[in-house]
Amino acid sequence: MSCVVSIHNLRYGGSVPVLDGITLRLDAGHFMGIVGPNGAGKSTLLHLLVGLIQPDHGHIDLFGQCLKRFNRRKLLRHVGFLPQLPTQQPHLPVRVRDVVAMGMIDYGNPFVPAGSFDHSVSSVLKMMGIRSLGHEDYRRLSGGQRQRVRIARALVRKPKLLLLDEPSAALDNQAQERLYRLLRQLCDEWGMSIIMVDHDIAAVSSHVDSVACLNRRIHYHARRGESIPDDVWKLMYGEHVHFMAHDATCIGCSQDAR
Amino acid sequence: MITDLLMALLDSPVMSAAIPPTLAIAIVTATISVMVLAHRLSFLTVGVSHSTLAGLGMAVLLGLPLLPAATLFAIAIALFLGMMPERRGIHEDASTGILFAGSMALGIILLPLAGTRQVDLFGLLFGDILTIGPAERSWLWGLGLLILIMAFLSFRSWWSLAFDPISAAAGGMPASALRLLLYGTIGLTTILCVKLAGIVLTAGFMILPASCAWFWCRSLLRLWLISTATAILGAMLGLVLSYACDWPTGPAIVLVLSGTFILSWGLAWLKQRVRRVN
Repeated sequence: MSCVVSIHNLRYGGSVPVLDGITLRLDAGHFMGIVGPNGAGKSTLLHLLVGLIQPDHGHIDLFGQCLKRFNRRKLLRHVGFLPQLPTQQPHLPVRVRDVVAMGMIDYGNPFVPAGSFDHSVSSVLKMMGIRSLGHEDYRRLSGGQRQRVRIARALVRKPKLLLLDEPSAALDNQAQERLYRLLRQLCDEWGMSIIMVDHDIAAVSSHVDSVACLNRRIHYHARRGESIPDDVWKLMYGEHVHFMAHDATCIGCSQDAR
Repeated sequence: MITDLLMALLDSPVMSAAIPPTLAIAIVTATISVMVLAHRLSFLTVGVSHSTLAGLGMAVLLGLPLLPAATLFAIAIALFLGMMPERRGIHEDASTGILFAGSMALGIILLPLAGTRQVDLFGLLFGDILTIGPAERSWLWGLGLLILIMAFLSFRSWWSLAFDPISAAAGGMPASALRLLLYGTIGLTTILCVKLAGIVLTAGFMILPASCAWFWCRSLLRLWLISTATAILGAMLGLVLSYACDWPTGPAIVLVLSGTFILSWGLAWLKQRVRRVN
């Protein structure tokens, strides 16, 4: 199976590193969840993966090419990224369709007419179940609706790699479940590779192929069907954590909890 | 009555000569005003335009051509303001305030030192498009064209950057370079506007057109179209008022645009109230 993301011995944060000795590999069509407490370096890791910040040490390969050396613009054309939901209220007068179309903009080619994005925008809006919101003012949407529009923007280019930072934030339980199912479908049917950072460990673990437990370094990387030992949770969160099992294939939950 | 005034305006050689550059400035400033508002750079615009006084002061003192010297100074100030927060960790409004005050002070000290050299201080501060010469005219046309080309090439990227800078940068967009390009363009636009509105009122031209349109748009194209239409109408009405009442041209246009903004804001508020009631 081809390797989509390869991280080797990554270090970031200067003398007090936020991330240290991170080594990870993500194959094509694989869905990886990253869990960890606040300040564990989860968002920082995603920012490193899209080159927003540069590591102090180690290297990152995307699609077999070094992120630092290869043309970043060309590499990132195949990556969809959803940053954390901003706390600031949006202020630009912009329609939902136009927000999603922003995901298609190639600054190196300003002569592409905006209308050529219409088909891709319509299909991704339909996929996210928000087709009826296409002509709405983005500022008037609820937090959950905005989050779905942002996910649609990350998906509109049909990326090979999707990086999601807390995509379930502001979504109700039903929308969360629908989102996780859609992501699973994207992996299985489109062969998309996904890295998803989330706080809801139980929900994440029931949909992903593997879970990386991160708190400055990767404490454990569990595959589906494998349980994460209690001492790993204790090491990450500083106290005993008890999880309720979801189903027989749920990973992340300890054997006792099942 | 307005038609009569317009005809009289067109008959006046001085006023009719001022119409093309005024309209060109209106179109360019309206275009940039969209990005000034989108990126929340209104205070930066005020800072850059006021800082130009130091550039003009230095140019007068050293006997340099005013517009080219001031253009370089404005670009330098704008780029410096664009880089300062990233490099030194100072918030943009503080660095703008510091440069604004420092450059104004330098300009106020330098201009009297120019001594016998003739400096039209009122023209510098409030603009005077009626006295525009052929050299200044060519400079302004060139500058205007350059700004419009840069805006045309970067408009969508700037808009996307204003909406969500992290997603834009993560998509491979060179966010810092595009931001600096925008700041440099704002510096250029400031100089373009100084001849019409002067150092003091330039910011009005670069904030008001898009502000008037802001309440009535949900797309970038519509925002640009309404801003431009507002700026053109404001400029023409300002010229007519200036001619009819013998007012200085720059302040007359800014006054019309300010009035349009109040009207637009009031109508938007009224529309919202009606919608809530229904």
